[in-house]
Amino acid sequence: MKGSITSRIVSVLGLAIFATFIGWVAFTATSRTVTNATNAAAMTLAFAGLAILTHYLGLLSLGQGAFIGVGAYCALHAVNDFGVPVVWMPLAGLIGGAIAGAVVAVPSLRLPKAYLALLTLSLAVAFPIVLKQIDGNLPVTLDGKFNTPGWTGIAANDEHIWEFAIVLSYSAIALFLVQGILRGPIGRAFLASRDEPEAAAAFGIPVYRLRLYGVALSGGLAGLAGGLLLVPVNFNDYTHFPEELSIKMFALAIALGGASVIAAVPGSIILIFLPIWLVDHNWVVERGWIGFIKSEGFIYAALLLGTAYLTKGKGFMTIIEKRQSSRQNRPDADPNTQSNIVQTLERVDQRLSALEGWLEGETPDMPSPQDEID
Amino acid sequence: MSLFLQRTFDSLANGSAYAALAVAISMVFRSSGVLNLAQGQLAMFSTYIALVLATGPSPFVKFTSGTDILGAPLPLWAAIAGAVLISMLLGALLEKVVIRPLGDDPIPAIGASLGIYLLIDAFVRKHWGGYTMFLGSPFPDTVDDRFDIGGARLWHDTLGITITMLLALLMLAVLQKRTKVGLAFRAVTSNRQSSLLVGVRVSRVLMLGWALAAGLGALAGGLIAGQINVRPDMMGRLLIFGLAAATLGGLRSPILAFVGGYLFAFLETMLGGYVGFIDSQVTLVWALLVLIIILSVRPSGLLAKQPSWGKK
Repeated sequence: MKGSITSRIVSVLGLAIFATFIGWVAFTATSRTVTNATNAAAMTLAFAGLAILTHYLGLLSLGQGAFIGVGAYCALHAVNDFGVPVVWMPLAGLIGGAIAGAVVAVPSLRLPKAYLALLTLSLAVAFPIVLKQIDGNLPVTLDGKFNTPGWTGIAANDEHIWEFAIVLSYSAIALFLVQGILRGPIGRAFLASRDEPEAAAAFGIPVYRLRLYGVALSGGLAGLAGGLLLVPVNFNDYTHFPEELSIKMFALAIALGGASVIAAVPGSIILIFLPIWLVDHNWVVERGWIGFIKSEGFIYAALLLGTAYLTKGKGFMTIIEKRQSSRQNRPDADPNTQSNIVQTLERVDQRLSALEGWLEGETPDMPSPQDEID
Repeated sequence: MSLFLQRTFDSLANGSAYAALAVAISMVFRSSGVLNLAQGQLAMFSTYIALVLATGPSPFVKFTSGTDILGAPLPLWAAIAGAVLISMLLGALLEKVVIRPLGDDPIPAIGASLGIYLLIDAFVRKHWGGYTMFLGSPFPDTVDDRFDIGGARLWHDTLGITITMLLALLMLAVLQKRTKVGLAFRAVTSNRQSSLLVGVRVSRVLMLGWALAAGLGALAGGLIAGQINVRPDMMGRLLIFGLAAATLGGLRSPILAFVGGYLFAFLETMLGGYVGFIDSQVTLVWALLVLIIILSVRPSGLLAKQPSWGKK
């Protein structure tokens, strides 16, 4: 199915429907909804970063909120203090987040996985305190603005549509690039270092360095998200990045994340729109047992515990992916059985060639079963 | 000199709480290989239980009606003891019901511990509210209750908390070193499979580890509540210092975790007191920095042996 003309047509159609839906939301929804959708589009990148850590590297980060905050801080001060044009501001966030990720990763990655969780949680708690100390109690306003170009035809008081388009473009390009990286040899090396680190090291994969790059990439994506969050908001404040943000993100990434970074989209939508839905339906003001069950904390706790029990921490998306994978691998799935046999023989041949290459000292590039999932 | 002494005395109460949490975290990690991030929230929940038991029937505090059957309002020390017992039961129950079915994989176990963290937080906020409540100290804490030593004041309250925590930790050490249960605990933490083969009831030992850790956290929460008051986020800062202190021992040495607790409290007080640009909030960041330096220089904590993740 994968790679066939039918699947490509389905993918293109799906993308077209999604783009139409996004366009419809941008031009018909209220400015509040569009602004929230803009935030969700930015947060998708931070979730994609978490997906790399949890699902590709098997690492735990409880400080993604802090990396977003670092990105937002760097982006804002790049504009305010160094005169960087606002359109490049998110890239400053990306660099800041990547550096912060690497700094945390260097000491913790040589140790059991618990240490990265521990350090990132500490970072999540410490970050708002540091930001308050540096920037003070009051919000810091961005010295710049995204002006809507005249050729777009968007009215001056509808700038939220233009902001949405910018953030969406940034996110789509970044996701496309990251997905490309993960589908290639780097993604396979990530998976090898997750599943069989000793074997990966024996095959010449630098596991520690690879994980370091993974954490830096994850931090960079979170930083980029932080920079993009400034597009609709225009100011930064220490209350934007509490430790609860990191914990909620971790819960959603664990529960919804899968092998594809596109799985980050539902996580970001829930993160942004759930509290709004709870406020709109007056669930937040209820107290006692009913208030407890209707609280955000309970919902996230149920999600985490449900994921731990039902999927052994692998996330609900993996169940869907496994089903798809097993359906594709069934002999009767494709009526063209002969083609299946040929494909299998080709794969065996590829693997043998790769093994031969490795024996002769070339760099191995063995296809993994993850290719089929992807 | 008297100022230095005063600051040293001031760090004792916090140090006791950090040490207790650090020991609790390292006990759980040693026995079951789980980094229990809900340790602080469990301690906070226990403090609310102590508050309920100490308040007695009251329309202003939830879950107090009917507590008169238990003799409430209880004296504060009895309320804290009751909270410790209830917490131990809760800790054992959590290990059996929530953690054990998840096996040895760290991701679901950490996810579940965060689930417990959020569940307790939501429960407390929705039943007792997010505001500050007052529990008081089980030790004399008026302005006259103090010893004057070398120009510094050592409050009875601080001394009481320190001695109680030291006694609790000493009892724990004796339990581990001198009893059959302790021997079983050490056997399980050393090699779970071999312990099973020689007839040690591993599941019960793990439950005991969680129960003792929860009890220790409850004691720390109940004692320190007189100084920091009772509120849902009361243990956040303490948990971070507790985790940092536990890291000193590579998460596996209760003794180094204990020393680390006092060391971090001492550093916190001294940095906040002597370094002008570091206020009490920012000391947390310095603890984090120390943690990063320790992990960079001594990756296994101050222990020579490399720890392993969980039991395989």
